[in-house]
Amino acid sequence: MSSATEAQAAATVLTPPSRWRGLLRRHATMPLILAVVLLGTYLWVSATNLDDIEQRFLNADYLLRTAGEHVTLAALTTVLVVAIAGGGGILLTRPSLRWLTPFATGLANIGQATPAIGLLVLLSIFLGIDFSTALICLVAYSVLPVLQNTIVGINQVDRHLIEAGRGIGMSPLAVLLRIELPLAVPVILAGVRTALVLAVGVATLATFIDAGGMGALIVTGIKLQRETILVTGAVLTAALALTLDWLGGVISDLLRPRGLD
Amino acid sequence: MSHDVMIDLQQVNKFYRGQKAPVVENMSMTIQQGEIIVLVGPSGCGKTTTMKMINRLIEPSSGRILIDGTDVTALDGNDLRRQIGYVIQQVGLFPHMSVATNVGLVPKMLGWDAKRIEARADELLDLVGLEPAIYRNRLPRQLSGGQQQRVGVARALAADPPVMLMDEPFGATDPMTRDRLQNEFLRLQEQLRKTIVFVTHDFDEAIKMGTRIAVLGERSKIRQFDTPENLLASPADDTVAQFIGRGARLKQLDLRRVDAITWEDVPLIQPDKTTNGAKRQLEQTEGSSALTVDADNRPLRWVNADELTAAAGALDGDAGQTVTTVEPQATLRDALDAMLASRDGAAVVVDERGRYAGTVTLDGLMQVIHHTPERGTSGSGVPDQRVGAAPAAELAPEQR
Repeated sequence: MSSATEAQAAATVLTPPSRWRGLLRRHATMPLILAVVLLGTYLWVSATNLDDIEQRFLNADYLLRTAGEHVTLAALTTVLVVAIAGGGGILLTRPSLRWLTPFATGLANIGQATPAIGLLVLLSIFLGIDFSTALICLVAYSVLPVLQNTIVGINQVDRHLIEAGRGIGMSPLAVLLRIELPLAVPVILAGVRTALVLAVGVATLATFIDAGGMGALIVTGIKLQRETILVTGAVLTAALALTLDWLGGVISDLLRPRGLD
Repeated sequence: MSHDVMIDLQQVNKFYRGQKAPVVENMSMTIQQGEIIVLVGPSGCGKTTTMKMINRLIEPSSGRILIDGTDVTALDGNDLRRQIGYVIQQVGLFPHMSVATNVGLVPKMLGWDAKRIEARADELLDLVGLEPAIYRNRLPRQLSGGQQQRVGVARALAADPPVMLMDEPFGATDPMTRDRLQNEFLRLQEQLRKTIVFVTHDFDEAIKMGTRIAVLGERSKIRQFDTPENLLASPADDTVAQFIGRGARLKQLDLRRVDAITWEDVPLIQPDKTTNGAKRQLEQTEGSSALTVDADNRPLRWVNADELTAAAGALDGDAGQTVTTVEPQATLRDALDAMLASRDGAAVVVDERGRYAGTVTLDGLMQVIHHTPERGTSGSGVPDQRVGAAPAAELAPEQR
């Protein structure tokens, strides 16, 4: 009898409850809300009589183009931030470079604490008005969460695991790749998610230095007092940020190492 | 130097920058193949540092460390550590890898093929008492603390290293689990004959596990390095004595077995025999009790002279006192327990079939304890000191 129960226990362990069902339960709400909001906005805009100016902005071509610019900006930012802050974070947790950590986080903190618009204007004075200036500003603005979380994520790995790894003959690189990074993934991804959302939000300011993005809708809406343009721009930006955040949540759930609670 | 020497520490020092005093100072120690050497001492005495210098998790500042004749400082640290088993108190199983993956890590680094690693992992799980079919795919958090440490031991044994370092391996488990793990490990060690350096701060554990124990003071200074028996019997100085703590004599009882003390004979009364012979013998030897036995010489009850007189010829089954028995392999602590439970302070030694072989008394026990063992003897399992037990039918006239 006992062997039967043991076998049963083994079976339940061997076949973990389907990952997809849990994923669906945790992540199904956001798409529904987004769909409702976007649909409502669409219906509202199409029920309104649009004048010339409004029609120039509120059409599929224009919206897709600005959205595309916006996503490109945010995505490039994220890639750069992961490369810079992720790599930097890993280096800053190596024993020989650990002493540099306060300086690096201090520097990253300046980037984030400076008001984004101020940073953008300052950078454009030195670097000129274009896409790469906006990109640099966004990277500077969203480096901190990834850097911070990479450092925290790696440092929170139980140091006995690292000692055990070294003790059985793993090289420092193997310990990093096989133990520290996999176990730090959830924390690092949380930082990436935050950076992504920050980047989407701040990318609305790129329009001030003519670097495109959906900020143009909002700025135009305010300047020309066209409520439909303003609201559409705001809703679309928010929806984009929420969508990317949602995507980040799904991805970090999928990449989460098994065996962690 | 004998070819049996496995680990040889020669004048090993460890300094840390900015600290005036060394953590380990002039440590020299020779460890034979197959020994379990326990480093024991107060926390901060450098015992863990000493151990970690053997696999160079901590680099010695000066001195030489030889393993099987090779100076470890000449080897690549990672290669070296792959050839030395390593078990720590916190177990250190990687939570995101299955039990089998954890166990197979070292073989994988050594470049074994997947099939062989798999087979080896199963073999080791079996060895440490975990059914491979059930446990190999589990994650560490699905195991109890004791099971986790078994996997930890299996992982350390994976590449069959001749030397193992164990840093308080059973320290984090509850007393019952610890006891079981210790026993299992000692049983494993009988088969495996590894050379083991074992760090603990628990002196009782040291006595139980150690072939030899090194009591360390500050800076890893060896205060005494000897077998558990000798350590208990003659501590080198007050500090060692203090560290052994109270009850050294009692602890000694755990190390020695019933066959190490002199057995005595008592008059035996077999069923259907008259009690006269026994009575006469009791009078002659001024002994107080005789033992009734059954037809196979299994002890039944103690009877004294008065009871014999009262019975006048035939004893009924309920007369006298119950008998407590021990086997020759039992520890003296068990024997003492049995003695205390009986009226006359005597326990009956029986063979594996439960037949009478002799008796042990408090007096005999006292003699052994006060007669400290000679230096260098292994203590446990001292060869038979008794003369063959007298057959029950003919009563031995004199006590030995």
